[in-house]
Amino acid sequence: MDTAKLIMCAVSAAALDICVLVLMITAYREKSSGRKRWRKTSADMELADRDRGYPLECDEILIGRHENADIRIHDMSVSRYHAILNVADGKWTITDIGSKSGVYVNGVHVEQKRLRENDVITVGERRLIFRKRRDRH
Amino acid sequence: MSNPLAYVFSCIFVLLTHGTMLFNVFYNGKYDDVNAVFVLMAAVIGLDAVYFVILPFFKQQTYAVDFMLILILNMGLIFQSCFGGVEFRLKHFVTVIAALVACRVGYFACRDHRWIEDKRKLIWICIGILMGIILLFTGSRSMWISLGESTSIQPSEFIKPLLVLACATSVTEQQKKHKLLCFNVVYENLILFGIVACVCLFQWWCRDLGSIPTFGAIYVSGFLLRICYPKGKYSKKPIIIAVASLAVLAVIGIIVAPPYVRDRLFVDVWNDKNGNGYQQAQALIGIADGGWFGKGPGHGFLHNVFAYSSDIVFATISEEWGLLFSVMSVFVLLMIVAIPLVNPPRSYYHGSMCAGIAAAFSVQMALNIFGSCNMIPFTGVTLPFISMGGTSMAVSGLMAGMLVAAQSPVFKAPKKKKEQKKPLPAQPQQMQPIPPQQPQPLPPRQDAPSQPPVSYTLTDRRK
Repeated sequence: MDTAKLIMCAVSAAALDICVLVLMITAYREKSSGRKRWRKTSADMELADRDRGYPLECDEILIGRHENADIRIHDMSVSRYHAILNVADGKWTITDIGSKSGVYVNGVHVEQKRLRENDVITVGERRLIFRKRRDRH
Repeated sequence: MSNPLAYVFSCIFVLLTHGTMLFNVFYNGKYDDVNAVFVLMAAVIGLDAVYFVILPFFKQQTYAVDFMLILILNMGLIFQSCFGGVEFRLKHFVTVIAALVACRVGYFACRDHRWIEDKRKLIWICIGILMGIILLFTGSRSMWISLGESTSIQPSEFIKPLLVLACATSVTEQQKKHKLLCFNVVYENLILFGIVACVCLFQWWCRDLGSIPTFGAIYVSGFLLRICYPKGKYSKKPIIIAVASLAVLAVIGIIVAPPYVRDRLFVDVWNDKNGNGYQQAQALIGIADGGWFGKGPGHGFLHNVFAYSSDIVFATISEEWGLLFSVMSVFVLLMIVAIPLVNPPRSYYHGSMCAGIAAAFSVQMALNIFGSCNMIPFTGVTLPFISMGGTSMAVSGLMAGMLVAAQSPVFKAPKKKKEQKKPLPAQPQQMQPIPPQQPQPLPPRQDAPSQPPVSYTLTDRRK
């Protein structure tokens, strides 16, 4: 293959490499814009326990004592898999998934309930507050 | 569209890549009639342009997978049109369009995971119907159904996306456990195991043994994500058990494999280069001949070898375009399946679905590329988005659409739950006015939110 043909091959390979790089950057930029969209979808809420806030980062949040739970509460009064939070149409719902001590929202025992801002959720002996997210980093 | 400038830039770079490739074909390619090159140029650039104009109308949240998809599909069209001399391959162009349409179908079907999750039983039925079709129409030693002189379909390919959907699960679904003997099991997991076992047996019966690792990979990824939910924290025990089971199954498979498969497993391609090792020996010679930058589009000899455009397509691309191009093509494919790692899905269902798709594509790529390079036995599995084959292309497009759906999800309330929800809010509303009306003290659970009852778990532990 003569030099001109070799250069042509190298140029097309380089164009492909650059294109892949640009698409990788595009994908990375979409990640940050995706975060903003999720905050809109999830109404930018969090669960607060004492002085700690748990951001709600996916559409199913498992609350429990188990190490795999999304919100892990180190309290023996909380079941391993206690309750689950779901989001749909920007509204969060809490569902008791067969816990032993039950789920209370504002003091009322519930099996499933749609949550509103500043609702107090009691799981076992622990109280969690459903509120607007404060950590905005 | 969050960033129109990024969209335009991505479009320009994809067009630029295809443009330089086409210019390379024009400058270095082997062709008798220059019109063939111009037709190819018009088809590739035209498809790019139409796709980029149509895409914003779907109002997706992300477009990275779409850009990579059109990049690799049109690269595949250029490669396929150059094998053995430049000639526009209309059939491959049609399959590329079919893949893009299938991608849209996959996107619309899977973007709302609650909707597709509700159709679980329908998915199982569809897999059953496809297995029935295989049983009735393909016969015991074939995997194709002929639809005419040059058209045929492979029904087992359609099982792949359905199996991915059947294996995907949500955290809520995994909480529905039932007591079976002394184990807490999720019935769906048992049904899924039965489905996968049936599918693999059918593949064995059809002698499509190359697809079994793909189905196995989809199931293993789904199975691990089912037992290690919700954060996918893998504990050692299930992984050791899964790997040990796979090793045992592989050994059993080798022992009971048909003679022609065992011959392929232990073939020395250089000693038997005119027999069982012919394709691999030629493929290796082709890759070596091509070097880094290839012999030039259309200047190879691998187009004389059987399955040059499907099973050993990696070697054919390496020969004509160079190892650099073929490796970069594989890198683009890997980028498509790795996108969920860059922008993680927001639902567990979509996450497990992406894992299944990544497993399927990765295993297919590995079998095709390593098979071409004689690193593993030759299986005859296609390279997604590049190999010739309508069914494979459409199914790969569908699975790419499922990846797009995971990147641009919709979280809608299911209709059934809406109906169930109606009586539920009424309970606390009825309960709340009761305390002031009743003189007797209320049970502590309803009256004292700050003092909930001591859990049974706590009591048990104290004992």
